[in-house]
Amino acid sequence: MSHPLRAAAFTSDAERTTWHDETLWFVRQKRDKAVYGIPEFQQLRQLASDIKEHTLSRLDEYLEQFEQNARANGVQVHWAADAEEHNRIVLDLIRKAGATSLVKSKSMLTEECHLNPYLVNNGIAVVDTDLGERIVQLREEAPSHLVLPAIHLKKEDVGETFHQHLGTPKGEKDPQALTEAARLHLREKFLIGEVAITGVNFAVAETGAVVVCTNEGNADLGVNLARVHIACMGLEKLIPRTADLGVFTRLLARSATGQPVTTYTSHFARPAAGREMHIVIVDNGRTRQLGRPDFRASLKCIRCGACMNTCPVYRRSGGHSYDFTVPGPIGAILSPNIDMRQHSSLPFASTLCGSCTDVCPVKIDIHAQLYKWRQIIAQEGELPAAKKLGMKLLSSVLARPGIYRLGGKIAREGLRFLPHGLTHAQALNPWAKARELPEAPKQSFRDWYAQQAVKQ
Amino acid sequence: MSSRESILAAVRRNRPEPAPLPPVADFGGAATVEQFTHWLHFIGGQVIRLAAGQPLTDAVRQLYPEAVRVASDLIPATVPVDQHTPTAVLEAVDVAVLRGELGVAENGAVWVPEANMLHRALPMISQHLALVLDHRSIVATMHQAYAAVQHTGNYGVFIAGPSKTADIEQSLVIGAHGARSLVVLLR
Ligand code: SF4
Repeated sequence: MSHPLRAAAFTSDAERTTWHDETLWFVRQKRDKAVYGIPEFQQLRQLASDIKEHTLSRLDEYLEQFEQNARANGVQVHWAADAEEHNRIVLDLIRKAGATSLVKSKSMLTEECHLNPYLVNNGIAVVDTDLGERIVQLREEAPSHLVLPAIHLKKEDVGETFHQHLGTPKGEKDPQALTEAARLHLREKFLIGEVAITGVNFAVAETGAVVVCTNEGNADLGVNLARVHIACMGLEKLIPRTADLGVFTRLLARSATGQPVTTYTSHFARPAAGREMHIVIVDNGRTRQLGRPDFRASLKCIRCGACMNTCPVYRRSGGHSYDFTVPGPIGAILSPNIDMRQHSSLPFASTLCGSCTDVCPVKIDIHAQLYKWRQIIAQEGELPAAKKLGMKLLSSVLARPGIYRLGGKIAREGLRFLPHGLTHAQALNPWAKARELPEAPKQSFRDWYAQQAVKQ
Repeated sequence: MSSRESILAAVRRNRPEPAPLPPVADFGGAATVEQFTHWLHFIGGQVIRLAAGQPLTDAVRQLYPEAVRVASDLIPATVPVDQHTPTAVLEAVDVAVLRGELGVAENGAVWVPEANMLHRALPMISQHLALVLDHRSIVATMHQAYAAVQHTGNYGVFIAGPSKTADIEQSLVIGAHGARSLVVLLR
């Protein structure tokens, strides 16, 4: 199914679509307020971009340095070429620990690898502990946003889910009460957690530490009560120095939610006495993206979600319409690298307005990459038939001025007389769904211009 | 070839032209108690300035009159906690009173290294958290904070306010999984 079809399902509820749009725009406004409070914000973006670019240019060296330092800290480092190997490594570690259950804090990487279903199929009970992730997990859905996993749901939906799974009273929809119920429910899980899995926001080469940012405190609670900590990271999470965290921690939360910083910025370098810590470094297509000069900048992404909050298409089509782990503009440039055929409609889910590029804290040229993917997708013959036909027709018309002029005349005359039901027939003209054509001018620009020349 | 070798080889093959690493940034800024207080309030925390000579124990008792189980290495504790304390005991702690090393004026965060935590889980598992901070240990921004911390050690956390979430319809709720409230006691 393509993005437009899935988006159509989302927008069929107009009220909810408007609510979704406005809620995310509100988050974007909070971001603006936080950003305007920092005079050097634009310099910070440049610095972040430069640091990431430098790191990518020497990524092999930083990976080795990071591994060496982590090992010296008593951490075991594992490498996974793809999702399957990642999942196998994690399952092995859990089995070696003799565990049958685990608590997990937010990790888009494990979503990307579809770790949860894999573990469940192998008899491991997985509990997502981030509130939003827990909500979508109970509903057997995927997160619909990078940092706001349950943003597609209303409090009534959450209330119903909690009523079914946690036994909250029917009809309870107060966020405070629902959060309290989740706190009590998840605390039980934390207390018996044997293995804790976390994602990684930043991996510091010079110390071997991984940094995890949360607001809820679920990563720290999980890790510090469990015997075994497994941190899963994509290999692009590297940064060279502890000092670089100054730049990234100032950008991340402000760009994401407009907070001055996340509540917990946690640095894990060495396991506590008698406990284990593992780091799994995952490629899964990243080195391939690194080899594409037009698209490698997408590896600078720090997963703040700002590009989706600002995107007019994301806001009105919802995260699930992308059908990819990372939705929104950044997902639309990451997904074709993974499977161009499956995700061929995503680079077209954009107006190319460039708002994503404007807010991106690491200055990824997102809209330019969307445009470039479109050309590759067209070259590879992956355009949908209607679009292909339309483009062909248009290019042959544009190449023949005579036909172009004639077409314009027919349209100007025709639109005045043809019935609305025909020009706006949605089966023939999908453009006209929710759109009106402008009134046709009596005269073409060409004729008007010729007249002016005569007058002078 | 192991995955490690093949991944590193692919990175070497595909890495872009060298780009320079920018020097460590520092944009100055105001390292004031006022800024720190403003931002900690903004994110749901509270700042209390201890009067000269006021014993910490009194301040804690005033703040948490009902707290029975208090864990601390700064005042007489009712629950002794060290790195071997079992989870069941930790879980019952009402208030933890711990030392903060450093405050950050631009966002209200306080640096708490492992050495100050008694047990790594205590700052998050305790129902309420009080951090005692010297007012001279406030720096302007995260740049200066990392410069002062230098090495983040085995484990350490910048804690900015109480645990919170907005995952249900973007409504802010304080007290997600970690501490339900956070007070910084400035002296
Ligand atoms: S592409 Fe930029 S704006 Fe989008 S999530 Fe990544 S860092 Fe944030």
